[in-house]
Amino acid sequence: MEVEQLEREAGNMTSTIAASTAGASAANPSAPASPAADYLVLSNIAKTFIARGNATNALSATNLTIGQGQFVTLVGPSGCGKSTLLNLVAGLIEPSEGTITIGGAPVRGTDRRIGYVTQADNLLPWRTLRDNVAFPLELAGVPVAERRERADFWMHRVGLAGFGDAYPSELSGGMRQRGNIIRTLIYGPPVILMDEPFGPLDAQTRIVLQDLLLSIWEESRSTVLFVTHDLSEAISLADQVVLMGTKPGRVIRCENVGIERPRDIFQIHEHPEYRRLYKQIWNDLGAQVKKAVE
Amino acid sequence: MTSRPSLFDPDSARAVFIGRLLLAVSVLLLWQLGAGHLFDIFFFGKPTLIAASIFNDLRDPGFYRDLGVTGMEFGMGYVIGGFAGIACGVLLARWRYMAKLADPFLQALNAVPRIALAPMLIVWFGIGMSSKVFLAATLVFFIMFFNTLSGIRSVSPALCSVAKIQGATQWQIFTKIMLPSASSWIFTGLKMSLPFALVGVILGEFMVSSVGLGYRLNAYATAYNTSAALGMIMIMMCLMMLLTWGANALDARLMGWRDGGGDGAAAALKA
Ligand SMILES: Nc1ncnc2c1ncn2[C@@H]1O[C@H](COP(=O)(O)OP(=O)(O)OP(=O)(O)O)[C@@H](O)[C@H]1O
Ligand SMILES: [Mg+2]
Repeated sequence: MEVEQLEREAGNMTSTIAASTAGASAANPSAPASPAADYLVLSNIAKTFIARGNATNALSATNLTIGQGQFVTLVGPSGCGKSTLLNLVAGLIEPSEGTITIGGAPVRGTDRRIGYVTQADNLLPWRTLRDNVAFPLELAGVPVAERRERADFWMHRVGLAGFGDAYPSELSGGMRQRGNIIRTLIYGPPVILMDEPFGPLDAQTRIVLQDLLLSIWEESRSTVLFVTHDLSEAISLADQVVLMGTKPGRVIRCENVGIERPRDIFQIHEHPEYRRLYKQIWNDLGAQVKKAVE
Repeated sequence: MTSRPSLFDPDSARAVFIGRLLLAVSVLLLWQLGAGHLFDIFFFGKPTLIAASIFNDLRDPGFYRDLGVTGMEFGMGYVIGGFAGIACGVLLARWRYMAKLADPFLQALNAVPRIALAPMLIVWFGIGMSSKVFLAATLVFFIMFFNTLSGIRSVSPALCSVAKIQGATQWQIFTKIMLPSASSWIFTGLKMSLPFALVGVILGEFMVSSVGLGYRLNAYATAYNTSAALGMIMIMMCLMMLLTWGANALDARLMGWRDGGGDGAAAALKA
């Protein structure tokens, strides 16, 4: 019963977020009422790292357009610049060339509208799991009782109930990663970047969490940019799969996934569209992976 | 095969305890019985004589006055040096230009052998408590300063970035990420400083003073009262061990998050 109440509250929370973003566009008469088709735009992005005298061309001539409320997955071989792309969108690093805009405004530095589930869990080792999950709420000045309640609700949702008082060093890799995911979901940012969030999880937990992530996303409809090395995961979750290539890192092509929602993650592999896309992308991905290890 | 009597088992608390007891008793016995034959009592004292003089000291009200003075100097030196060291460490960790500018000067100051300062201290501070407080504080200051600086510099940039993304202000990053992250360095510094603060104070009292445990020790030693002097040294040793033990207990309580929940877990590899 208590959980039910929390579910409802969370529903309200996400609908407030939806309402506030809708309100923002409604206030501007020239903006269309429907979600913007070019919400997150990367134009002609290049990023060169200079480390110890060597220049690494991590990304070059990269273009990507993502509509508001879209779930987009990025696949590509290791080292092709996926994390770099997310870091750029998050405003943690600046592109060497090109511009990134979100809702028409260029990205300048970090921004609370963008949530980022990093590849490493990056939990604060001196805080308990609950205090880690509630950290963004604490930063925003949410009262203790409320943030405790919300943290417990999210921990319950991903099977971490009862571990609120454990320190990260006392948790398994998969548990820490779940903590890492929900501490972004807890404050419901309109744009969520996820870098191989299910990487350290076993196959079963992975599917359960994919399913959970989709149902959470159906409620909130935030714009998601999700990196994975698992093509199956990429197709199952996405509205659009972006294939990245290497040497130099760039976007090779985008495929729309025409599978209706809500989806049944457990059965999706039977879907003919899934099989078609899988075959089609697999060949190109395979070629890029070979190129990456050459 | 593991049921062999565990006389030398390093994991058996009892075996270790018995071993320690045997070692202590045999050293004391050798010392006691050999005193006067194997070693000269004039130089090495004798356990029973040392015990008697410790007992005498503990019954003397003058001892408690000396203990109070030394404790006061120690406490003030430790707190002043510690506070100043942490404050400067934090300041310079944040203000990189100043850190670079000050670095060679701080290295030079830290390279001054503190004992060489002693004659000047009398000139600057007279023979009262302040000269001892100052000596202890300078020793503590540099330990705390360098530890705080390294602690804050070794904060993971990734943790700061994540907090920034989640909307942390500069001040929040400082108080909620940098300070807690540096706290284990700061704590280590506070523990390391304890014996140095005591050394500073005793050294100061040794040089010039008319009260304090260092003065008492010096008085015994110059009177060639070896047993009493060794007794004083043992009292100081016990005080230091008590302090260290307290600091370790506090550390274990506050820094429990480091250890991964108990024995041996810290050594286990984590993904
Ligand atoms: N800070 C940095 N300094 C120098 N080179 C960097 C830096 N960050 C990334 N690179 C380089 O940029 C390229 C892309 O790195 P990135 O981390 O984005 O790859 P990735 O696609 O996320 O790989 P993975 O799937 O293994 O996580 C790599 O060649 C890497 O060596
Ligand atoms: Mg990566």
